[in-house]
Amino acid sequence: MTDATNPAANGGIDRRDALKLFGGSALAVALAGCTELLGNGDGDDSSPSETGDGDVPDEPIQAGLQTFREGAPAVLGVQAEYGAETAVRRINENGGVAGREIELDIVEEGSEQLENYQQFVDQGKDVTFGPISSGGHEAMVPEIDDQGVINVATDGTVTTLYEENFPDTTYSFRFQNHDVMEALSAAKEAVEVLGADNIDTYAGVNPNYAFGEDEMALFSAGIEKLTGAEEVYNGTPDLAADDMSTHVTNINSEEPDVVFTSCWGGDATLLLQQAQANDMLDNTELVVGTVLYGSANDYEEGDLEGPIHGGSRNFYWDQPTTDQWTPAADLFDEVQDEYGVIPTAHFMSGYGAVTAWATAADKAVRLLGRWPDQDELAMVLEEHGFFTPAGYHVMSTDHQGYSSAHFGEMAWSDEIGGAILENVNVYAAENVSPPPGTTSLDWIDSW
Amino acid sequence: MTRVSRNGVLAVLAIVLLLAVPDIANVTPLSFSIIHQGILFGMAAMGLNLLLRHTELVSFGHTAFFGAGAYGVAVLTAHYEVSNGLLLLLGAALAATAIALLVGYLVAGYLDIYFALLTLAFNQVLFAFVLQSGFFNYNDGLRVRVGADRPSLLGIDRWLVSTFGADPIVAYDYVLYYLTVVVLLVMVAVTWKIVNSPFGRALDAIGQDRTRARFIGIPVDRYVWIAFTLSGLYGGIAGGLFALLQLHVRPEPVLFVFVSGEILFMAIIGGIGTIVGPIVGGIVLIYLLRLARFYFEYYHALTGLVLLVVVFFLPEGILGSLPTFRAGLERRLRDPTLVRGDAATVSTTIRQRLYRAATTVRILVFGVK
Repeated sequence: MTDATNPAANGGIDRRDALKLFGGSALAVALAGCTELLGNGDGDDSSPSETGDGDVPDEPIQAGLQTFREGAPAVLGVQAEYGAETAVRRINENGGVAGREIELDIVEEGSEQLENYQQFVDQGKDVTFGPISSGGHEAMVPEIDDQGVINVATDGTVTTLYEENFPDTTYSFRFQNHDVMEALSAAKEAVEVLGADNIDTYAGVNPNYAFGEDEMALFSAGIEKLTGAEEVYNGTPDLAADDMSTHVTNINSEEPDVVFTSCWGGDATLLLQQAQANDMLDNTELVVGTVLYGSANDYEEGDLEGPIHGGSRNFYWDQPTTDQWTPAADLFDEVQDEYGVIPTAHFMSGYGAVTAWATAADKAVRLLGRWPDQDELAMVLEEHGFFTPAGYHVMSTDHQGYSSAHFGEMAWSDEIGGAILENVNVYAAENVSPPPGTTSLDWIDSW
Repeated sequence: MTRVSRNGVLAVLAIVLLLAVPDIANVTPLSFSIIHQGILFGMAAMGLNLLLRHTELVSFGHTAFFGAGAYGVAVLTAHYEVSNGLLLLLGAALAATAIALLVGYLVAGYLDIYFALLTLAFNQVLFAFVLQSGFFNYNDGLRVRVGADRPSLLGIDRWLVSTFGADPIVAYDYVLYYLTVVVLLVMVAVTWKIVNSPFGRALDAIGQDRTRARFIGIPVDRYVWIAFTLSGLYGGIAGGLFALLQLHVRPEPVLFVFVSGEILFMAIIGGIGTIVGPIVGGIVLIYLLRLARFYFEYYHALTGLVLLVVVFFLPEGILGSLPTFRAGLERRLRDPTLVRGDAATVSTTIRQRLYRAATTVRILVFGVK
């Protein structure tokens, strides 16, 4: 690029000539803004792979997290924020990633997940985390592959995302268990509690968007294969619905054996409150919900009366039991002290996403003897196994996180002042998710 | 300098500035992508302003057309594998025009709050329909790619890659930006032509008094319908370009009714009395909406504060207030003692507004008496 501020650099052109060229030339106008396009931008042609030269840089790792911090989805998003903050705090207190501390910027994801990721990249972030939204996640994946800055999604758990829509992504990963794992765990929990022979009918109440559709389709496929049950009602309330009574009434009239729901946040609370008020729990044998436990901090004691079984995806602080696995109990105490909340699976979304990337980066530095570039880190993240207080996790070749899922009977704890799970069943990843290369519905169909 | 020549210079300067945006963004912290998005939303606001400025009808549902254009592009790529950018924009224009024709026909006879609420209702219906439809992939939305490939922008982007070895993503972004600039300039020229035509004068007459306009022979409803459709077409083209920029279309960012409010704010912030004010408003508001969250925790409040400042101190909008601002500045440069009077005016204004607020609260609490 011609340096207009330095006459020596541009062949001694003086101000008058420069003005004549700029002011009088249509070409100057036509080419305005094109310098980067013509390859003469800032002269920085270095690719990420050229930045590592045998050393680990001293400067902190710049990381960005987008999550819901306001509105109804904050019940999930703030937990993810606490989780990511806790992981960063712990990593930094223990010397950082190969000696580099992490600096984490957190931003409200709103409905601008794609723009937030682009802005993080513009700011020079080394890695980004989030979002919660499955729709936002779907919009981001091709952009992530274009930009080449690794993103580890905290949620955005729609099963088709990596199975069908983006089977060959390079830089996009997702930490949290995806829908098939929790929907099938819910189906297996129903069979575990009631017995396959006792389940003839089932109903669903699921949020009216891609996540809810995905969860219901997978649960239906699973429960029908396991029990031969028939669907008698499928309700789809809008997100942030202000009334669930239609669904409660329909369920009361059908009296299904099992009610499945993937409602979350305020929708989960409202559904249970109206179910209690209208005796729905007397008209069904079991309510099983994949994300019900996500609202653990928001329930009142009366909301949880009856056979309600909730799932906690890949994290429940009391599993494995604390006499076998103290890190979970330590984490629970730390979170209670720091934030005064019960950590839920969405806490682990944030915690695990940061930990997945950080442990992979640490491993890559040990393997390479230098800081890895984005390609190398992405390669290490594939099939990367690592521990969190929730146990062992694997980031599979399909870029989805796998670990055990927990389901148990929801109960009220005076000691904790919130919801807990009792009689917890643990479902291993290989029992509730297909082998790599097989789509979930095909796999269930082959049972 | 005469007004005509001054305006000519300003127009050339604005065009050079527009063309140089990518380089300006390169050497400053400004974001190329955000400015591009701001221009696109500004184009939709310019369309809205066609109604607002002349017929004095306030639409709360204009993102319906922006979203229709965006989804027009997305449906063609996702379901029919169309990758020709020109065809995609044509699809966007047709989708938005069809919906604008229908909605415009149904609302053209209404006024004031009824018109506003009807447009809002149609917007909400469209949003709910798309959100709940598997064809539009619910809230996950649709990709604007055929496989992993971006659409082709008249072949120019690919020619730049094959001939000059340009980076494919940079080539796409730049060609799309310059395509946007061309479309914008055409829109400005067409708008200028419309507002200065007998049709534009007729719209002014309709805005001032519908009954009188009808008495002098103006087919009011038909003219409002045409203006509404044109306005929707602007939004549709802007939405189509937005889809090509984002390469993914979801309901919330392009169809949610709050976005209609934002488009209205853009026109107000930029200046509804001007043709290109909404573009300025678009860039300003998109900056606030997209980037303020990275720097301020209470970024919603910041947006609100900017709106308050505009309404209280720049009632003609940013661009619309420039002549008054410039004249005032020139007067103060000649006579600095006027600044003292300004301070007194500001103080009086604040006092009056506080008094009015207190009066309003008193009336709310104790009633009119």
